[in-house]
Amino acid sequence: MITKMNAVKVLFRNRTPTVFINRYYATTKKKIPDPDEEESLPIFQYPTSKSSDRNMYLWGLAETGALGIHIPRGKNRKQYRNNFSLCWYPMRSSFAERFDVEQVAAGYGFTVASIKTDEQHKVFGMGINTDSQIGYHAPRMGHPLELLLSPAPIFLPYKSLETKIISIDAGRAHTAILSDNEGVFTLGNNAYGQCGRRINPNEEYNGSMVSYNIKRLGKEKIVSVCCGQDHTLFVTQGGKVFACGWGADGQTGLGTYDNQAVPAAVKGDITTENIVKVASTGDCVLALNDQGELFGWGNSEYGQIPMQCGSQQVNMSYSLREFTRGLGKITDIAAGGSFCLIVNEAGDAFVWGYGLLGLGPNVEHSKTPKQIPSPLFGRNEFNTEARVEKVACGIGHLAAITNDGHLYMWGRNRQGCLGLGSSKDQTFPLKVAIGGHVLKVTCGVDHSVAVCRPFT
Amino acid sequence: MVQFRDAVSAYKALNGLICVYKPPCVPVKQVMHIVKTNLCRDLNALPGRPIEKRVEIVGSTTEPMQVKLVPNYADNPLVCGPRYINDDIRCSWATHLGLFSSGVLLLGINEGTRITYKINVGRPTRAFKVHGQLGKATDTYFWNGRTMERSTFHHITREKMDKVVAHMQAAHQKTMFEQSGLQMDSQQTYELASQGLIRPADNKLPVIYGMKCVYFNPPNFTLEIQSVNEYDKYLWTLIHDLGVQLKSTAYCTAVQCIRQGKFDVDLALLRKHWSLEHIAYNMNMCQEILDENERLLKPESAILSA
Repeated sequence: MITKMNAVKVLFRNRTPTVFINRYYATTKKKIPDPDEEESLPIFQYPTSKSSDRNMYLWGLAETGALGIHIPRGKNRKQYRNNFSLCWYPMRSSFAERFDVEQVAAGYGFTVASIKTDEQHKVFGMGINTDSQIGYHAPRMGHPLELLLSPAPIFLPYKSLETKIISIDAGRAHTAILSDNEGVFTLGNNAYGQCGRRINPNEEYNGSMVSYNIKRLGKEKIVSVCCGQDHTLFVTQGGKVFACGWGADGQTGLGTYDNQAVPAAVKGDITTENIVKVASTGDCVLALNDQGELFGWGNSEYGQIPMQCGSQQVNMSYSLREFTRGLGKITDIAAGGSFCLIVNEAGDAFVWGYGLLGLGPNVEHSKTPKQIPSPLFGRNEFNTEARVEKVACGIGHLAAITNDGHLYMWGRNRQGCLGLGSSKDQTFPLKVAIGGHVLKVTCGVDHSVAVCRPFT
Repeated sequence: MVQFRDAVSAYKALNGLICVYKPPCVPVKQVMHIVKTNLCRDLNALPGRPIEKRVEIVGSTTEPMQVKLVPNYADNPLVCGPRYINDDIRCSWATHLGLFSSGVLLLGINEGTRITYKINVGRPTRAFKVHGQLGKATDTYFWNGRTMERSTFHHITREKMDKVVAHMQAAHQKTMFEQSGLQMDSQQTYELASQGLIRPADNKLPVIYGMKCVYFNPPNFTLEIQSVNEYDKYLWTLIHDLGVQLKSTAYCTAVQCIRQGKFDVDLALLRKHWSLEHIAYNMNMCQEILDENERLLKPESAILSA
């Protein structure tokens, strides 16, 4: 077979244009690859990743340090590129190469990530630290840093070092870190009670070393935590939701518009339901029960939580069963600044509210859930299986992950937070170029973070 | 099979599109030459038109002259050569296939050359079966090159392969919009995008619409690729890139076009069937397909229809 192949090769390699007439001899001796040469080549073995390896990609505004990425400039390694202000392509973080990143959360200009370890430093923070939302970091005594450009460990008083971090979320200036056995640790601003402790009007948050531990709520273990702008929501094992923080729009769902310092159970339609997920980024809250039904409360200025009375502030949880009738079982939810995004069992994404919803430039406001056309998520005649599985929302931008681990983003492109390589707003979902299977994405106000599994 | 009585009617019927199976390592130019030569051979074998008569006026000019019709030797095939030669048949390809690629090749015969032009401009998708082999990289990305590197591939599984292939395919979504020449923030773009796939505006950059691993038996694998504007070397580089992304190396062993627009590989004429009867029959079949799918020739919008 090899000799035959070589014969063909000679045949076609000698097809030089005949400039002179009747010159049928070869002018240059063609080198025919020697089959033995191949045998003498070494066999490389490229390093492959473990199935537990995770990559972290970040993009958006870099000036705040929320990306935790430095780009060295010049030969002198101490010089850093000082004009690295924003990054509009996903950048791989070297932090995730050194540690096994598990949970990440993007707040307003800062990022918090937890790693798999049995040591003291389990959670790292980077970015804005004006309210000590990523802990106390002071190179000199009494001069705490207000901005961290690279990841720094957050000190938390764990009882046992074997504690694992199972969920993290971050709001405007506070962070909630949930461990498996020791409850929730909250850090940062508590001006509205978002840290779940008593409000002290004279408290100084800059350079504060306070972290507060909420062990249990309603005598039940906390299983998930969610931070809105200035409020915090806790889901317990029994499917109850507790809330604390700012309540001017009713986002605590406690029937009042007052701030709540100590987490209290959300009132209204969800008290009898088994809630599995709560989503909030701005002032609107969505909750999902185990039956795949939707509930909501909080800000409804743009019709996110449509009420018959037309109220713009919903201070009690309210069932959206009628509103989402016909959409089937809902599997994932996300609430942005002025819009909501949900996914149903069939993998279709629905959106309502106000903003760049992903329904083209002409649709700015939708009062009812409208489906984002599935061809935009890659479903076409050649690939009929594509389904949206997970969604996330920032204040003005939206993200969806399909079953193939592809990330699609759209919405307001503040500081390149869409990662599409430009600063233009995107009116319909477009795929973000990430070289990995995207497992989770979280959106801050002007940056986004994705955790991926490498392909090989 | 189409039976012809005489060469004149057969030649007149030879206007249209045919679909042939190009063997590998035979250039398209040679395929066209063989088709033309075979057509001429078969046309000349058929009974041709009668030999023209020559009018001969004989006799003395002072008397009434005699008019005679005598055989015209200048029109005799034995004198002037065969009735049909290669230059009498025009032939053109719709989309080029590289030297080492094989598969469906659309050729226009005589008036059919206009159809091939329209197909070329309409840019229907082509489906390829691209065969590759893991563990070796060559300098041309194809089997004819020199081996540059060898590597292990035992870590590659079907799942990893599928994931990387799906990723490579989805990465082309943005290229699709960029190549369509549409404004990203216009309502029209959104409407087109929400209907599905968009064809590129020019014929320069390749756009991949579908990519799937259909056979995986390490070290050999086969990808099925639907694309527009691709060329053989581009498909080879795809295999190479796939190998690199899989933390190994790969080279392409064969490229086979299995579909162009609505023209399937089943329709394609094998080399042994490149004769007048088969070609005429195939031409009718192709015309039926063209009549059924008018959008193949006249695409109305940027939506990909075939």
